[in-house]
Amino acid sequence: MDVSGLVDTATGRQSRAIYSSEELYRQELERIFGRCWLFLVHTSQIPEAGDYFRTFMGEDDVIVIRQKDGTIKAFLNSCTHRGNRICRSDRGNAKAFTCNYHGWSFAPDGSLSAVPLEKEAYFGELDRSRLGLVPVAHVAEYKGLVFGCFDADPPSLEDYLGDAKFFLDVWLDAMPGGTSLVGETQKMVLASNWKLPVENVCGDGYHLGWAHAGAMRAVQSLDLAGLSVGNSSTDLDGGLSVAGLNGHMALTSLDGVSGYAFYPKPKPMLDYLEFNRPQVIERLGKVRGEQLWGSQINITIFPNLQFLPGLNWFRVYHPKGPGQIEQWTWAMVENDMPAEIQAAILDNQCLTFGLAGLFDNDDGDNLAACTEQSRGWRTAQMDVFTNMALNRSGPREGFPGDIAAGLVSEHNQRYFYRRWQEHMQADNWAGVPTYNINSVVAEETIDA
Amino acid sequence: MLESGVAPMSTESVTGLTQRLYHEARLLDAERFEDWLECMCNDVTYRMELKRRRFRADRSPPAAVGVGVVFNENLARLKLRIDRLRSGFVWAEDPPNFVRRVVSNVEVERADAENEAIVHSVIVIHRNRIDGLTRVLTAGRSDRWRMHADGWKLAAREIALDHAVLPDSNINVFF
Repeated sequence: MDVSGLVDTATGRQSRAIYSSEELYRQELERIFGRCWLFLVHTSQIPEAGDYFRTFMGEDDVIVIRQKDGTIKAFLNSCTHRGNRICRSDRGNAKAFTCNYHGWSFAPDGSLSAVPLEKEAYFGELDRSRLGLVPVAHVAEYKGLVFGCFDADPPSLEDYLGDAKFFLDVWLDAMPGGTSLVGETQKMVLASNWKLPVENVCGDGYHLGWAHAGAMRAVQSLDLAGLSVGNSSTDLDGGLSVAGLNGHMALTSLDGVSGYAFYPKPKPMLDYLEFNRPQVIERLGKVRGEQLWGSQINITIFPNLQFLPGLNWFRVYHPKGPGQIEQWTWAMVENDMPAEIQAAILDNQCLTFGLAGLFDNDDGDNLAACTEQSRGWRTAQMDVFTNMALNRSGPREGFPGDIAAGLVSEHNQRYFYRRWQEHMQADNWAGVPTYNINSVVAEETIDA
Repeated sequence: MLESGVAPMSTESVTGLTQRLYHEARLLDAERFEDWLECMCNDVTYRMELKRRRFRADRSPPAAVGVGVVFNENLARLKLRIDRLRSGFVWAEDPPNFVRRVVSNVEVERADAENEAIVHSVIVIHRNRIDGLTRVLTAGRSDRWRMHADGWKLAAREIALDHAVLPDSNINVFF
């Protein structure tokens, strides 16, 4: 389906059909979820051989398994005999995966290790070597984040991430000990198209002061330190909207502490930041060490991964049809943090962006209603707009990307829909442009 | 059959605690949050842990930093949630959703402390939401109630939510 008229990046316009059309959704499964690198698991979630984690790539059910040699493989969670789901647990450790239906058993490396009545019923004619679990074509890791890709010939994960690594490293590589995802998976069904929460988190600082007004008022009444982001009090130059990075985005403040503003007792976190800042500056340079590490940053990796250093939540959205998603959230910590800070982060993440999150619980109904209002005969023919602050972006010294000043802008959303359109128009990776606008050579960094 | 094997609580206590649970549910249905807080001890703990789905034979260790929670509240945190709901800015609750709680399977046991009781119950929260659709949440609860001069007050509540995937966009309700 031709999508050239459905998104207009120059004017910031999207057809509402992109949130409701079944046909476009099938095309997204093929051209976006079937082509892009998708987040699978954090290495900290499967540390030991035989550890596995179940997730989705688009609507395809996938098991990610730590191998004996320490590498990570991913397979479709489907028996090669009759297609049944072979693993029904969220995660765990297993020596084998045995299908419930006829008892075919697969080893963690995906090989078909046992078939009941193999001699008696198949007369020994079954070629087990051809019936192993179907692997995900490519699996690669970037500093703890494991991604999978169904495409036969994608760019490398490093190239796919491109200059977004500048921001990724502010979380993944600031401290020598690396990072972990902690806690169980917080899973929620939302009656939303998958693009709407991505769009919301990638760049929409505009909604904070109104959609979250109730939580803002309640939380600020507890006299928390720092960030004020009500509609009237937002410092328009207090942050940056960064896009033009192969479809990836960052929305960041620049003060080096605001990420911890919504913690009831921020002092231990602020002490941790100040104590460790010199070595982070050594590792990442002054711009990132002073201005980004500790700041509230919304990082988006196209299409469906978002994580927020500061509020410390990490999230993927699994599409379940054009009008439904499963939203999966974890808390994230730096491994060098003391145990009490890690525990406080897990608790605060659950309080603010968990299943009963003071802030998170404001968003679901808005996203669901935007989806629903794109489904009618008449509304599906209408447009919606991300046309705030058009043509007000440019380079900024020390940072990669095409950058709009401030947290309230619709700059990043326009780049998100531009990337969506580029993928939807292209038949394969060769037709997808690569761009890292205003690329900067990373500041001199010292390896740990 | 009492697990503790000790003498059962008096009929008066069982009736009083059961009535307390029903009363609490009615206060919450009517959004009488301040009155509901009056049912709490000052040192109340109110917790719901995240669910997980594991094979019965799974031997993997528990999560290092903790399982994570849906609720991990003390009195101040319950008040914080109520402040948010009372702010007039929680759009998901305006117009109000139709919420009805059904409390059942009430079982009262003696606690170690003389003036306390352990109370198990099941709660079903029926919400007919602004979108016209109905969601039903089910949970088991294990409470510790403490007798005060003005009656039984909740000292601790552990809530076990019966949903691995939350079938709704928020939990703007108390269990």
